[in-house]
Amino acid sequence: MRGLRKYLTPFAPDQSGAVSVLYEFGGIIVICDAGGCTGNICGFDEPRWFESKSALFSAGLRDMDAILGRDDRLVAKLADAVTKLDAKFAAIIGTPVPAVIGTDYHALKRMTEKKVDLPILTVDTDGMELYDKGEEKAWKELFLVFAGEKEDVILGRIGILGMTPQDISDLRAADRIREHFAAEGKTAVCFGMGNGLDDVKSVSNVEKNIVVSPAALEAAKYLERTYGTPYETGYPLVDELVYDMDYHGKKVLIVQQQVIGSAIREEIQKKAKDAKVTVASWFMIKPELCSDTDLHLRDEEDYIRLVENMEYDVIYADPCMKRMTPEFDGIFVDTIHFAVSGHLAEMR
Amino acid sequence: MRQEAYFCTVKELDELGKNNIPRQLISHTHLIYSSPATLAFNSPGAEGFGVKRAGLAVPDSVMLIVSPGCCGRNTSVLSSMRAYQDRFYYLLMDETDIVTGRHLKKIPKAVAEICEGLKKKPSVVMICITCVDALLGTDMERVCHKAEEYAGVPVRPCYMYALTREGRKPPMVHVRQSVYSLLEPKKKKGNVVNLLGYFSPLTDDCELYDLLHGAGVKTIHEISRCKDYAQYQTMSEANFNLVLHPEARFAAEDFHDRLKIPYIELRRLYQIDKIASQYRAFAAALGVEFEDEIPRKAAEEAVEKFREIHPDAVFAVGEWMNGDPFELALALVHYGFRVSEIYGTLSGENFVYVKQLAKISPDTKVFSNLEPTMLYYDKSQSGVNMTIGKDAGYYHKECSNVLWNEERQPYGYAGVRRLFEALAEV
Repeated sequence: MRGLRKYLTPFAPDQSGAVSVLYEFGGIIVICDAGGCTGNICGFDEPRWFESKSALFSAGLRDMDAILGRDDRLVAKLADAVTKLDAKFAAIIGTPVPAVIGTDYHALKRMTEKKVDLPILTVDTDGMELYDKGEEKAWKELFLVFAGEKEDVILGRIGILGMTPQDISDLRAADRIREHFAAEGKTAVCFGMGNGLDDVKSVSNVEKNIVVSPAALEAAKYLERTYGTPYETGYPLVDELVYDMDYHGKKVLIVQQQVIGSAIREEIQKKAKDAKVTVASWFMIKPELCSDTDLHLRDEEDYIRLVENMEYDVIYADPCMKRMTPEFDGIFVDTIHFAVSGHLAEMR
Repeated sequence: MRQEAYFCTVKELDELGKNNIPRQLISHTHLIYSSPATLAFNSPGAEGFGVKRAGLAVPDSVMLIVSPGCCGRNTSVLSSMRAYQDRFYYLLMDETDIVTGRHLKKIPKAVAEICEGLKKKPSVVMICITCVDALLGTDMERVCHKAEEYAGVPVRPCYMYALTREGRKPPMVHVRQSVYSLLEPKKKKGNVVNLLGYFSPLTDDCELYDLLHGAGVKTIHEISRCKDYAQYQTMSEANFNLVLHPEARFAAEDFHDRLKIPYIELRRLYQIDKIASQYRAFAAALGVEFEDEIPRKAAEEAVEKFREIHPDAVFAVGEWMNGDPFELALALVHYGFRVSEIYGTLSGENFVYVKQLAKISPDTKVFSNLEPTMLYYDKSQSGVNMTIGKDAGYYHKECSNVLWNEERQPYGYAGVRRLFEALAEV
């Protein structure tokens, strides 16, 4: 049945993706919910929340706020908080409650700007889409609001777009990417993981952007259109993810976000040109990154049928998916995807 | 900008009165700060029992969560616990469902498909719905009836409406009603009692069991100790219910209306003299006398022993633990300790403890975990060297901490004894 889940818990929703993008930029983040969505984001989908203090809030909506559409109360609460907290901006993140009552985020943004002397970002997530949709919206909004005037390009300065724990599933990956580029005499700017708002403002000075997640592709295109910054897709640490074996003549299925999945495929095909590799994803599939065999998975049945019918030799997927196909007798390579299981790679 | 967490002393609060509590200490007047100290507020299921876990208190039950994906996301934490494996299922809603309500038509089929895939037919399928259906005005009782007819198993609603958490019937009150709603009328037995309020049992050494047995009670039921559905059904044989948590009041009233079982309410207290007077009143209502000297003495000795080890203990008491932080703080001050800080949510019910604290510990500071300025909480001037509660432990990481949020519920003298034993050990 469409939408019925018997094995997997729901994946990270769009609101978690939006928070994941904005988390490290020093703003007040307000989840427009009654509390439960904030609990889900903080207690489960944002692993950095346990490591350091952050200005993350729930709007604390109550039934009458929703029924009467009392946006003015939210604005008043936010205006009050801004007088007590040091923040560089305020972001309002949508959830199912404002989606049901049809909250007008443009109006909410304008109302808030009149009362609050900070840049205001609104992300119209609804809790029904997946994390990458929320990330895509948040990346675009972030660069739209904060990217500054065109600066001179600094050679060797590389922007990494799309780094979030949801996509990379590893809190230390950004450090390793910086080391990776430092070894080549370059500087990697990992937006959202270690590099802050000042680097967003001077985003035009990077030589090129490397997009590590399909959710950041639209932002990369925007930066190319606006500043002429070229971009490419790929994952600089892909060699960490590829299992060392003989892939000649093997049928391989990779279930990941599209950029990492494609990067793993590329590595495998470097080792064995005759390997038949399919990239599948529960999340967005961008046509421009797509190969003919790539697939979008929607329901559990899609994945179960795929594995049962296609006789793969190797599956790269999050370990929580193993139990869906107990009959599979090939090699299952644990490729953790935080947005799927809520586990980080370093927790293995 | 002063980067300082807002607080009030209990003396100031007492002077203001319960009708003038500062709005910084009233959660619905400000943004809710989200830190690990507030996780249990925003997401009760993340620690202990939230609606999802509580809804599965009926033995052999399963749950279908019908909601946008975001509402079920953190359930994998529960699913990884052995007792909850293969008991949670999801029917994910999309925008079209919200506009057309078509998800409601899918529920009977989804329930049937789940039951077909299980080796053993579940005793009940709980349908958990969320804020979205609250706003849509879904008649879930009717949907459950339909599903029940279609799938041939009992189906009950479970309302995870976070929007109503400060209303007359919050989700944790509602779910207590739901889990007892399957009980069918049975012939009463004079020597059977139900303990209502918690989703896990009292500690085995709690004197309440002995006191009840001493008063002629033979069988004491708790839903968490029911091994199967048949045993759960024997709860309707009870002569009376003991309500140990105020959130079970509505469920107890349901028992009274539907099954003609009356109830008596007792509070969880940490002041030994108040525990004794509560037991005396309870015994008088039953027309008996309780022999409670031994457990009382054990509790007093535990307090004394702790005092010998830590005569200079200065406490911070949090709210994410098994107790009312204001009552526990009052008990600690009565026992001769200092309580420097309390992190709690004030209400009319616990303001009575503030009044008493104001007389004997006027400088005790009261913070709200949920207030935005808690981002700047500074422990350096507190003088605290011991903490009770997960939230208090979060603010004072270097101090000895007793989480006091174990699933086995502490109660009565045994609760006091166990608390001070735990404090003596850290």
